[in-house]
Amino acid sequence: MSALVARRRGLLALAAREADRVLKLWSQTIAAPVLASFLFIVVFGLSLGGRIRGIGGVEYEVFIVPGLIAMAMAQAAYSNNSSSVFQARADRYINDVLSAPMRPWEVNLGLAFGGVVRALAIGGALLVLAITVTDVPVRQPLVLALAVAILLVLFASLGVVVGVYAETWDQAGFVNNIVILPLSFLGGVFYSVELLPSPWQEISHVNPIFFLINAIRYGFLGTSDVPVAVALGVTAALALACVAWSATIFRSGRRLKA
Amino acid sequence: MVPNALSIRGLTKRYDDTRADRRRMLRNHAAAPSTGGFLAVEDFDLEIEAGSFFGLLGPNGAGKTTIISAVCNLIRVTAGEIDVFGEPHDALDARRIVGLAEQDVNLDRFLDVEETLLFHGGYFGMSRAEARRRAGEMMDVFDLRAKAGVRAPKLSGGMRRRLLLARALMHEPRLVILDEPTAGVDFELRLELWRYIRRLHDEGATILLTTHYLEEADELCEEIALIRGGHLIARDSADGLRSSYDADSLADAYVRAMGSG
Repeated sequence: MSALVARRRGLLALAAREADRVLKLWSQTIAAPVLASFLFIVVFGLSLGGRIRGIGGVEYEVFIVPGLIAMAMAQAAYSNNSSSVFQARADRYINDVLSAPMRPWEVNLGLAFGGVVRALAIGGALLVLAITVTDVPVRQPLVLALAVAILLVLFASLGVVVGVYAETWDQAGFVNNIVILPLSFLGGVFYSVELLPSPWQEISHVNPIFFLINAIRYGFLGTSDVPVAVALGVTAALALACVAWSATIFRSGRRLKA
Repeated sequence: MVPNALSIRGLTKRYDDTRADRRRMLRNHAAAPSTGGFLAVEDFDLEIEAGSFFGLLGPNGAGKTTIISAVCNLIRVTAGEIDVFGEPHDALDARRIVGLAEQDVNLDRFLDVEETLLFHGGYFGMSRAEARRRAGEMMDVFDLRAKAGVRAPKLSGGMRRRLLLARALMHEPRLVILDEPTAGVDFELRLELWRYIRRLHDEGATILLTTHYLEEADELCEEIALIRGGHLIARDSADGLRSSYDADSLADAYVRAMGSG
């Protein structure tokens, strides 16, 4: 074990640095997104939920919890890594890591770790808060764990990739504001797409976040708009694509090094 | 036989005409081309003996920072081979024994002085205990102890420069590359840094120094290479260069060398 730790000290130090950044900025990285998502649960679920009939036999305030947790975790994993990597490139302290005796995959994994820590902290806090104010169950814990793992891999990798490609802060934030957030809202966080008329229902099936939300929802509630295997499969395929993209960047050094 | 500290053979670097490369070129003071990329260094050879104090001089855009970045794996080389103490420069063992203090202050804004040193030690494979001991040593040597808990952006310019040097030396590298280490520092700090760099050399480290201060090269370096337009144009001791260019000072020799050919 100690030999393994000795061989991976670079990776462990980089992962610790990324986690350290998340924890130092906790009010911005953890508390603010937890509060925002919790307000959604309170306002939409508890306040307005009483006026909305349940969906698929599930009370509305319970129905929205899985999607809100998934959305908050996805945004956290993505935005943490895109901003951390972009900042390291902009200030050029990434050179300290790029010149170090670490393998490309270690640098890639270390940089991705901050987003994982941040997303898990937010997801855990939201779960505790949601359980205290709603009766949200966890009916399929193994599916939930698998779906969360895929979510983390997908969005942590995507964040690293965008952090490497971004030339400005606007570009680093673009994917979150223009892609992840709208697709999350349209992916069924607040409703079941089965309630949508055609062709919106069909269109929803080309939204990758729809599958992610349904995989997470199945883990919590045991129900999903699509078979859970399909939801997990589509999300896993996207995650693999992002991992491959990010691995290629770090192996070749393209975009990262002139 | 001890291999050379640094062996560069046929190094060529052409920056592509991409936004990232143009930014890098501007940072390295090379003229950014409009199209077709830019040849920063071409077929460049350099051998530096272990234990020497070597200076690399040249005007802005000569290719000094490009050469250093290539040695430290910060750019992708177009062609050529680089060995550090006989190991390919991108091998983990070679990276472990190179320390770089860059020309621009590139400190992690989220870390304080002590953390900067500890994390750097970790990146370079030091155990926590080893890194703690060495970080304490570095903070004492560079008079940073009182600022151990202060984050980099809140340090004065001189303190940042010291921290940059302390970080480069944290993992006890055998080849220390100092890219304009005294740029923009006051005279007192410059003398202090000179003292420390000399001590480092006396302890056996090989030093590769780039500087625009010719008196600094004259004072410190045993051997100096003059480069221009990515090519080596002369290499000798300061006295040898003065003699070759029939000059009274290194500055005169430099001006004549840059003006010749």
